Amino acid sequence: MELTGEYRIAAPRQQVWEALNDAEVLQACIPGCQELEKTSDTEMLAKVTLKIGPVKATFGGEVELVNIDAPKSYTIQGEGKGGIAGFAKGSADVVLAEDGDDTILTYNASAEVGGKLAQLGNRLIQSTARKLAAAFFDNFHERLNQSTPEDA
Amino acid sequence: MTTGIGNPVKRKEDRRFTTGRGRYTDDVRNDNQAYAAFVRSPHAHARVKSIDTKAALAMEGVIDVLNGKQLTGDGIGNLICGWAISSKDGSPMNMGAWSALATEKVRYVGDAVAVVIAETQALARIAAEAVEVDYETLPVAASLTAAMAKGAPQIHDNAPGNLIYDWGLGDEAAADAGLKAAKHVTTLDLTNNRLSPNPMEPRSAVASYDAAEEHYTLYTTSQNPHVARLVLSAFYNVAPEHKLRVIAPDVGGGFGSKIYIYPEEITCLWASMKTNRSVKWTSDRSEAFLTDMHGRDHVTTAQMGFDENGKITGFKVDTIANLGAYMSLFSSSVPTYLYAPLMSGQYDIQNIYCNVRAVYTNTVPVDAYRGAGRPEAAYLVERMMETAARELNMDPAELRRRNFVQSFPHQTPVLMAYDAGDFPKLLDMAQKSADVAGFPARKAEAAKRGKLRGLGYSTFIEACGLAPSKAAGSLGAGVGLWESAEVRVNPVGSIEVLTGSHSHGQGHETTFAQIVAERFDIPVENVSIVHGDTDKVQFGMGTYGSRSAPVGMSAVVKAMDKVEAKVKKIAAHALEASEDDLVIEGGAVKVKGTDKQMLWHEVGLAAYTAHNLPDGMEPGLKETAFFDPVNFSFPSGAFICEVEVDPDTGVTEIVQFVAADDFGTIINPMIVEGQVHGGVAQGIGQAMMEQVVYDDNGQLLTGSYMDYTMPRAADLPFYKVSHQVTPSPNNPLGVKGCGEAGAIGAPPAVINAITDAIGNNHLNMPATAHAVWQAIRAGKSAMAAE
Amino acid sequence: MTKVSMNVNGKKVSRDVPDETLLSDFLREKLRLTGTHVGCDTSQCGACVVHVNGKAVKSCTTLAVSLEGAEVTTIEGLANGKELHPMQVAFNDNHGLQCGFCTPGMIMTSVDMVARYKAEGRKLTSDLIRQELEGNICRCTGYHNIVKSIEDASAKM
Ligand code: FES
Ligand code: FES
Repeated sequence: MELTGEYRIAAPRQQVWEALNDAEVLQACIPGCQELEKTSDTEMLAKVTLKIGPVKATFGGEVELVNIDAPKSYTIQGEGKGGIAGFAKGSADVVLAEDGDDTILTYNASAEVGGKLAQLGNRLIQSTARKLAAAFFDNFHERLNQSTPEDA
Repeated sequence: MTTGIGNPVKRKEDRRFTTGRGRYTDDVRNDNQAYAAFVRSPHAHARVKSIDTKAALAMEGVIDVLNGKQLTGDGIGNLICGWAISSKDGSPMNMGAWSALATEKVRYVGDAVAVVIAETQALARIAAEAVEVDYETLPVAASLTAAMAKGAPQIHDNAPGNLIYDWGLGDEAAADAGLKAAKHVTTLDLTNNRLSPNPMEPRSAVASYDAAEEHYTLYTTSQNPHVARLVLSAFYNVAPEHKLRVIAPDVGGGFGSKIYIYPEEITCLWASMKTNRSVKWTSDRSEAFLTDMHGRDHVTTAQMGFDENGKITGFKVDTIANLGAYMSLFSSSVPTYLYAPLMSGQYDIQNIYCNVRAVYTNTVPVDAYRGAGRPEAAYLVERMMETAARELNMDPAELRRRNFVQSFPHQTPVLMAYDAGDFPKLLDMAQKSADVAGFPARKAEAAKRGKLRGLGYSTFIEACGLAPSKAAGSLGAGVGLWESAEVRVNPVGSIEVLTGSHSHGQGHETTFAQIVAERFDIPVENVSIVHGDTDKVQFGMGTYGSRSAPVGMSAVVKAMDKVEAKVKKIAAHALEASEDDLVIEGGAVKVKGTDKQMLWHEVGLAAYTAHNLPDGMEPGLKETAFFDPVNFSFPSGAFICEVEVDPDTGVTEIVQFVAADDFGTIINPMIVEGQVHGGVAQGIGQAMMEQVVYDDNGQLLTGSYMDYTMPRAADLPFYKVSHQVTPSPNNPLGVKGCGEAGAIGAPPAVINAITDAIGNNHLNMPATAHAVWQAIRAGKSAMAAE
Repeated sequence: MTKVSMNVNGKKVSRDVPDETLLSDFLREKLRLTGTHVGCDTSQCGACVVHVNGKAVKSCTTLAVSLEGAEVTTIEGLANGKELHPMQVAFNDNHGLQCGFCTPGMIMTSVDMVARYKAEGRKLTSDLIRQELEGNICRCTGYHNIVKSIEDASAKM
């Protein structure tokens, strides 16, 4: 499943980039994120609670930043295990472009779920993932606390 | 009302079911009951790197957590497929190892890796969540296309290219020549959709171990408890056969899915010994979707040639069958010997060749589901006939008539020797019942209402009463296909029949009693049927393949023959008459033309008191018989389905469904009709609603009744059922078997009707409203392009 | 744990149960009334239907503790002693069951259905019966004889 989106953020690119690499910021922005602990410059351990359809589960897993081209782009990828609920995997290519004083953030994400999540929640996954992605970037954008999104 | 053969005797078993007193496996609860929950893989293909059970074991109420290494370490064997199929080149099939609990690799979502045994079911499930399994995921081949692609992930090391076998039946050169000589050749590409059997009672097992006796007892949802015991002991090494009792109490439907031995039964038995507790596992519906064997799942390309008179000149079939991640107990036989030998249908076809390749995929195993192989064959042959008729501009009934087999026995080029039938008459009966003559008027009337009306035929054959053992053995079957019976006349004259057949909805407690009541002319209430318990009943083969009547009942008849012979000897001795002058009627053994008689119960008593038996006769009145038929029985049917399609939405309504069947002798018409209703409903379900879907990663997307469409009351019509009787010469009652006909014959009738209505022959099952709507659109644009 | 008391098939029962206990579990496991069946886990098959205060409910989606003081009737309590309810007789007369697994739920649903239509003075046609069976799945009978059974009983109730 593929998801894409674009946001205009009223902050300079460097500032946006730093925020995107700040575990604290990420934890605050990732919906349902209970813990996010940095284990290296590019690796984190996360605990996220999600509800998809009738299945609610807490996922523990690793988040990793790869393909880093500071301050222009990276790929954030993660894989979480939710016990009997199954697993979720995802990655997003995030690109930051300068536009005057603003920054244009575009993302291209893909996600995959398995186990009970897929069996029972399948019909709702697309919409849930869309909502989660929107929530993350909304939160992120709000946190940088300027203008409104152009395209959500 | 009389209660003998041919009477619609009301079912004796109903009282317990309608009052909630049926006893199903999950209703069993032993004193020291513990509960099992399985830890299952969420990945379709992965290596199991480690299993961490610490957290689960630490939970209060958890008795033990067991894994596959322990299981194989205790010598429990792998699951096997019991029918050996060889490829065309003579090589044996590539059977991959299947452990009840996966040790190194998991191969489908739901593959079990560990089991938690706990004090309550809820606890077991919670603890199963706490078991941490570390997987290394592998590339997945979830579909036939993916599994057969170049460089596809290898599911079993010993099956290169995921190919299990490449098998053929018939004469390829003859079929090619027949096609070459044809005036017209019809080509068809078909998919037979993947189905989940869904008996309403989920699978369940309750295993206990008696350490003092070193004896196991297993209650299980099985269609054939003796075969279960044999396989559990001989192949899986769970317990020696004489130390294992298998009981299949009331079973809530099977449809094939409860024939096989599953990992859960093996694991529960073993775990009961490990934990010294009675271990119970009951599947929930989500687990059933993930782990009950699925049915069908074929892709086929076929050609049929016709001469200028519409006579078939040749038939060539190429099928690929998806068997899932492992080879289940009878899986190999379904797309081969239960499929290809039916390719002649009701038709006289001289040149047939059928090639079948079976393939592994990362999905749950596929095995027999109601009809098993025969629905796939009927669907292909009957879709072919209808398609050809359309291409040849012929009436589809007429094309069939020109090709019907006319005399019996009839030897086909694909093994089968048809025993009896009258196909033209059966079709007449169906056409009359369906008022085919009035169809054009009904179509015109529907058109006025803006509806598309269509009519579709299916005139099909099936092979039932799986047999004979010798022939089956020569084709690779691992077991004999006979049946056993013991008839016990008690000293008071009441009768117990012990049968190796198993009833899980078929009403044997009534129909088996009927044949006994008829034979000895005693009330049906005085006959009871015992089945489903290996400690009570002699070895038997169980119920599948519509075999209980043709094979199971025949064994009862043979045993009754022996009982009758002894009864007559006893009575002749006591009455000082000749055996030849005796008749059994009205509850007595009578001397013809006199008023001398011995009441039935007096004979029973005499046999057991043994005060006045002929010299040398053993006391008692109990006989055993085994019946091994000389041939299959061949029920035939003519189904006609009429539909109305809303062209704007694709919504299709079945406005009439006619089923005319030839089941040979009918013991109880009420029960036979019920079997037809249920079978047709499942056939309509396959044709219009049901479909198992896996995504590319092998995740099951149709895992509940929210996504897998089960036919409900409002989806289905009333059925018009009628019968013709041409008795089978191959068993003493002349019966043929009726359990599967509906599921075999209905799908092509439905699809033929819908494609007739919409004027586009390209339509796959399930023909949901969406699919029909798309086919209407595609048909229109194809026409516009012409 | 919560103590819950109710009347089941005319008998007063009380048990301490965890709050999340479903009525189906309560009946099957605590009271050992195993006539009520569980055929699914998404509330869609109707094998578990019982009557609560005279109305059909799916016991697999009802919490036992929510039924303090309720009148519950299960399939075991439908007959009047030895005398079967007309619906039970009709299912036998019309061969409305095969494996019997869906039957308790079917019968309990049907009794409620007929009673409702009678109370409202509406006629119960075979089409309406089929619609009313929306929440009950039977895999064996193809519904033909179930619909006939209900029509039959409806004339006698
Ligand atoms: S068990 Fe209650 S609806 Fe299926
Ligand atoms: S009788 Fe078997 S499910 Fe209805």
